Amino acid sequence: MATQSLRALARRARVPDWGESLMLEDVRGEVAITGIGETPVSGPSGRDPRTMALEAVAAAIADAGLRPEDIGGLMVSAGIRDQLRPEDFHTHFNTSQPLWFSTAGGAMIWAATCTHSAALAMRAGKARHIVNVFAVDWASRRAAGSGTPGDWHASEDMKARFELPFGWYPQPVYFATFARRYMHEFGLDSTQLAALPLTFRRHANRHPDAVMHNRELTLASYLARPPLADPLRVEDCCLISDGAAAWVMSPAEQAVDMPHPTVLVEGVGHGRVQGAPYISQQPVITATPQTFAAPWAFAMADTDVTEIDVIAVYDCFSSTALMQIEDMGFCRKGEGGHFIQNDRLFYQRPRRLGGIPCNTHGGLLSHSYLLGISHVVELVKQLRGTAVNQVEDTRIAAYAGFTADEGSTLILRRGER
Amino acid sequence: MISPDLSDPLTGPFWQGAQAGELRVSWCAACDRAVWYPRARCDVCDGRLHWQTLSGAASLVAWSEVSGPLNPDFDTPYLTGLVSPREAPYIRLVTRLVDCCAADLRCDMAVTVRFRALQPRRGAAFIAPVFTPA
Repeated sequence: MATQSLRALARRARVPDWGESLMLEDVRGEVAITGIGETPVSGPSGRDPRTMALEAVAAAIADAGLRPEDIGGLMVSAGIRDQLRPEDFHTHFNTSQPLWFSTAGGAMIWAATCTHSAALAMRAGKARHIVNVFAVDWASRRAAGSGTPGDWHASEDMKARFELPFGWYPQPVYFATFARRYMHEFGLDSTQLAALPLTFRRHANRHPDAVMHNRELTLASYLARPPLADPLRVEDCCLISDGAAAWVMSPAEQAVDMPHPTVLVEGVGHGRVQGAPYISQQPVITATPQTFAAPWAFAMADTDVTEIDVIAVYDCFSSTALMQIEDMGFCRKGEGGHFIQNDRLFYQRPRRLGGIPCNTHGGLLSHSYLLGISHVVELVKQLRGTAVNQVEDTRIAAYAGFTADEGSTLILRRGER
Repeated sequence: MISPDLSDPLTGPFWQGAQAGELRVSWCAACDRAVWYPRARCDVCDGRLHWQTLSGAASLVAWSEVSGPLNPDFDTPYLTGLVSPREAPYIRLVTRLVDCCAADLRCDMAVTVRFRALQPRRGAAFIAPVFTPA
């Protein structure tokens, strides 16, 4: 479909004017995710990001039934230190083929948009099989006092000049402020908000790889916890973890001959808020840039929320996940607190029973903080039918990515084979 | 270093204003609107910006009481949040809420500016525009 037609379709969702959707080309059905790989996830482990990345990449390539010399492209995140470089790949695998390299990959919003970049690279003949990988060692760094996720924010000039001096920092403080506003506007209370961390923890309790696998959480124990930054408790905030994950993207027509059921990229969206990058100045603080990403992805995939079987939402904070579930369109703005009650996000409440299973691996709150790349890996497992917390008859899945002032949406579909 | 740099040409006037007991924001005369955060030129008309002194009346957008060990720069607990100045309700100032407790605060309540010394754990104290219920 022409980009202008996508724009017209996306606009039918009547998106507000405080942000914009980037005009991504239609890449529906061109790319498949054909291999996935993960390292163990953990607290401080002393593991090096590049070593972890290589472990995940090797696993993903093997899972796709490929050899390292078959890989023609490598995508990683910019701005996160010690990500994998082409020379690391070649040294480790003893390979020498040309590697198309992009820093518009990795996790967060790029866990969705990298599929679009990969499709364009494949069209242009730059690469056939492309690996996307993300690794992080923030748990080790925090333990060693050598860095935290707040550092990047603190390096922003205006944040340093006008926000840090007041103590409006780090991330839990500003998302707590936004959660407070949301509670005021829409009447959400802590008992309702608890549905997110409690459900994600139940998923993690059933998932042997999750960092919080052995840590149960009840509503009473959640409510008894003191606020960290009121109204958020520690259970409303993401973990800090070490680990890596990767996947292989291949041309869809080749995926049918590869080992696993085909998982096709059906829709991609990328939204951006005005006033970026300072979210203190974001015109609306009770919604997320997912508002501008989702309509484009749904238009490209020619689907809507009623057809989505399982979602994975960037849950840096419980309240941010709640807002994104609304902004994707699963319920109306302000109704999210009510919508997520009655186990609606639990994996055993499939769509036909009125649920929308969410973060079935435990999410950033209870699986690990790999910044969203594990979310997409989990959706691939769901569509293959191999997830630990498998949702019944999963055909279409959606990921909501987030980086404060930008959001992204990825729609994946199980192929016919 | 948390303490602001009063000599910074782009942002120092905000903090100099606080020392002088004035709440100042960056303003475009041609558009007659606040431009926040400050920039070299107006992002709409590319005109020159100046620093405009405001009344100090504002509306509380939202706040958080920081109790946990999140921010190594300040002793806890403290109240921080966002306010919108009466003359420029379309911008937000990051600030502290003082002379009150969390239970006194409501979103959209009227607040007014005060000028107080904030003391980081390391570095010099500095005068900052903070707010209290009006």
